[in-house]
Amino acid sequence: METDALIVGAGVAGLWSAWELALHGATATIVEAAPYPGGHVARFCCKATGRCQKCGACLLEDVLRKVRGSDRITTLLGSTVLEASDTDRGFDLTLLCRPPRIFPDRCDGCGACTDVCPVPGALVQSPFDRRMVLDQQRCLRFQGGECRACEEACTRGAVNLDMPAQKIPVSASAVVLAAGFRPFDPLEKPRLGYGRVPGVVTAAELDELIRTDKWFPGAGASRTRSVAFIQCVGSRDAKIGRNYCSRVCCGYALRLARLLRSRYPDIEPTMFYMDIQSFERDFEARLGEAAREARLIRSMPAEIRTGSDGRPEVVYEGMDEKRVAEPYDMVVLSVGISPGQSLGNLCSTFGIDLNSDGFLGPDGEAVTTSQDGLFVAGAVQAPRSIEDSVSHAIKAAAAADRYLRRMANREKQ
Amino acid sequence: MKTPVEQPIPLGGAAPPEERNLRKVLVLGGDRVGLELAERLAAEGFEVVLLGQAQNGSGTGGVTFVPHGRLSEVRGFLGGFDVTLSAQNGRIRERIGHIIAAAPAEVAPKFSAYGLSRTDGALALSEFPEWIARSDPSTSRDGKWFHAAFLCGLEAGSHPAVFSRVLDAVEQLGQLQNVQTYVFTRHLKVAGADLERRYRESRERGTLYFKFDEQGCAFEQTPEGVKMVFSDPLLGREMELSPNLLVVDEDLLPPASLEPLLRAIPASPAGSPFLQPESTRFCGVETAKAGIYAVGPSRGVFAPDLIVGDVEAVVAALRKPLSEPAPWTGLSAPEVDPEKCTMCLTCVRICPHGAMGFRDRALADPFSCVRCGICAAECPMKAIVLLGGVEGNETKAQVDRDLARVSAPGKIVAFLCSRSATDALESAGIASDHLSVVKVPCAGTVSTSHILTALREGARGVLVAGCFKGNCASVYGTALASERVAEITRVLGSAGIDPARVQYAPVASNTPGTLARAVRELEESLV
Ligand SMILES: Cc1cc2nc3c(=O)[nH]c(=O)nc-3n(C[C@H](O)[C@H](O)[C@H](O)COP(=O)(O)OP(=O)(O)OC[C@H]3O[C@@H](n4cnc5c(N)ncnc54)[C@H](O)[C@@H]3O)c2cc1C
Ligand code: SF4
Ligand code: SF4
Repeated sequence: METDALIVGAGVAGLWSAWELALHGATATIVEAAPYPGGHVARFCCKATGRCQKCGACLLEDVLRKVRGSDRITTLLGSTVLEASDTDRGFDLTLLCRPPRIFPDRCDGCGACTDVCPVPGALVQSPFDRRMVLDQQRCLRFQGGECRACEEACTRGAVNLDMPAQKIPVSASAVVLAAGFRPFDPLEKPRLGYGRVPGVVTAAELDELIRTDKWFPGAGASRTRSVAFIQCVGSRDAKIGRNYCSRVCCGYALRLARLLRSRYPDIEPTMFYMDIQSFERDFEARLGEAAREARLIRSMPAEIRTGSDGRPEVVYEGMDEKRVAEPYDMVVLSVGISPGQSLGNLCSTFGIDLNSDGFLGPDGEAVTTSQDGLFVAGAVQAPRSIEDSVSHAIKAAAAADRYLRRMANREKQ
Repeated sequence: MKTPVEQPIPLGGAAPPEERNLRKVLVLGGDRVGLELAERLAAEGFEVVLLGQAQNGSGTGGVTFVPHGRLSEVRGFLGGFDVTLSAQNGRIRERIGHIIAAAPAEVAPKFSAYGLSRTDGALALSEFPEWIARSDPSTSRDGKWFHAAFLCGLEAGSHPAVFSRVLDAVEQLGQLQNVQTYVFTRHLKVAGADLERRYRESRERGTLYFKFDEQGCAFEQTPEGVKMVFSDPLLGREMELSPNLLVVDEDLLPPASLEPLLRAIPASPAGSPFLQPESTRFCGVETAKAGIYAVGPSRGVFAPDLIVGDVEAVVAALRKPLSEPAPWTGLSAPEVDPEKCTMCLTCVRICPHGAMGFRDRALADPFSCVRCGICAAECPMKAIVLLGGVEGNETKAQVDRDLARVSAPGKIVAFLCSRSATDALESAGIASDHLSVVKVPCAGTVSTSHILTALREGARGVLVAGCFKGNCASVYGTALASERVAEITRVLGSAGIDPARVQYAPVASNTPGTLARAVRELEESLV
């Protein structure tokens, strides 16, 4: 198989660079490890409160619509790059392509398979059409096991675990790495109580619950009223090697707070923060409003523990260095953007280095790497918002297009 | 939103060009960025007219400099803009293919926000590089420490691009002996490349940061200098500082030269200083009108390293082969029936993308039109149709055809915007026996007569579902749709028909519950 550009990752950044390259007349092949496209944004909800809050999440659906309609773009789901070598004409790669295990035209999303699957997260509902998809990096059968529970449970014959994975050789003139990030794992900060104190969730989890219409404040005495957002979880924390601001958390937390309030006016959000970053063109002019939308406390909690009434309790240093313990109905950890887990692999496959924050490729906002014809786009290179990932992807596609034309000219001569 | 009546005819009689010259570019510049952009374009073979900049050094082939030129009027379309420039030697008219707004930010020092005035000891941040070039604070005071204080968002907000420049200055002073630096702020804006690291390093090297919550800092300015009185926000101690140098931060504002371009893009939001509409859908350098682009401050991007990215993006955008936008809609540009068009020019005024022009009748420019269908819905003579559609039926407008095909009796006819509600439908899992779906390119496509037809055909209810306010890719399609629905419900009410039968709902493509809820609420109001 031949393609002008091979793109690793079908998050907003990868999809957008493919679309831009296609507009330039190039062909693009996207390799996506997950069984559905979209990356993290595919799990985010719309935060509109009657009025759009400009979170940018729906840009994903926009670009998916474009990519699906383009005959210059091929998307390979459930696939990864096994090997890559550079030649004088670009890259020779070997892809591992896993066939979809669940036929989309047969699955109606009934969920019978999830009920029997022993591995949480191996069978998930596609964020776009309610059908089930199988994550082959989790499924026991593809880790050397023998399980066939889902195949047996499906009454519509939609599951097929036997089709073999294929190794496909591809030659590509340019490669764009858009493998994204990993949300900070709050277990790395055990004092924040995640996984231990009931009522402590990550913002990513809350986002997804709202997207799928599964978050409700409850009723009666257990109704959720007070919600604390803890900022900078895994950001601006030199002790754990996160010497950067994740650039998106103040924005998504304040938007989530506004969304919750607009749906349930009796919800009272509190935000624990260091500094509030602006995230909208006119945010600074309206910083005063933010203070009315949420109670703002400039302090980083020392600990989150289970209070005597079973609710999570946030312990922090208040005014005059006094220790305060406040109970909340729900505590949301605003987890930051950490370097993706496959970066080590990508470094060795493509022969490039991590930058000073542990992300892939150069420092700053650049899109080129130490390898000719190899580009980076989106949150794989630095923490970025959706809009900034799109801008970065457009820039990467522009650089890749320039490179492709240079190669084509050279060939002509 | 501007309604069509209030809005002046944007492009003054222009017709879509018959021949397009896509190689000639007008750049509104003013600093390094404009120059670099012009040179990049010239190197790509474009013929560039650069405003706001004197020719520097060797000069570049392919760039015409108009140093004191200002853009005063723009008419026309991509590949054929007629622009009027006012220059020193009178007015110049040019025919231009693309227009790029790449002027630098207006920089407004915030002296008045702090009640200060500019003196030798109190400078604006932009003056610092020049000041440090001619002063040497470490030796001038033999052995005494030199105190330099920086204000950074202590009042009236801040921006990572400003903090980055404060850090530049702090780092420069940090090289010198016997200089103590202070930064006074409320929120440190570290959401940019490398800022957190640089902040930490400067602090470790001795810069003192004071972060205030409610109370700030009082300034007493005398001819001798400025005295700052404040209580240390961490320790609560009363403090005084009389810095040898006080550096006041600045607001970064969009360039002032955008007015003629704002006039040329009908969708420019009233009162917004930026060239792009507020919708996140305008997240690149493109504006709502094809052929007009915004780089850096013109679209609210101020950090130098991000502006470099904009330059790359706009060069690439101009290099793209000409193609009609939105091929995925499968629609062709609006056709205007010459028999019906009375040249009322409603469509020219209403098209959010400035895609309608006219000659002996209204004429759409196929390269500027995004196929939203707003013009067709607003045309009082029903003279406009958008041809094509998903199944390639070339004879009828898609919406009318689909509407004719849905079975309305006893059902809810749902007009679903293709940029939000149709995605939501796919993942919402709403039983199809509830709804008769008509997919529309934009909620603004749905005219009052479409809604009335659905009711006449026996629909129990009509739902028009589009994007949220502020998110419409055709800027005010959403607003038009909800206004039309409001209008119809008034008419229905006075005719004794239950007005609740017609509703507008904003729906998110990624949160299907928004559609499910709208359908449920409409159904509940019908029983
Ligand atoms: C909790 C949270 C909330 C957020 N909310 C917002 C918000 O409201 N607004 C906003 O602007 N931003 C928000 N962000 C940031 C946003 O998630 C990112 O900007 C965005 O996801 C970046 O897109 P991307 O394509 O670069 O990366 P990703 O979304 O991470 O996509 C990368 C893709 O690459 C795939 N991949 C990874 N490795 C490989 C490999 N080796 N081979 C093949 N495929 C691979 C992944 O499966 C994934 O699909 C939020 C972030 C977090 C953590
Ligand atoms: S997803 Fe975000 S950007 Fe899109 S409409 Fe909702 S709030 Fe606005
Ligand atoms: S369809 Fe929309 S973009 Fe095209 S001319 Fe009509 S109003 Fe303008």
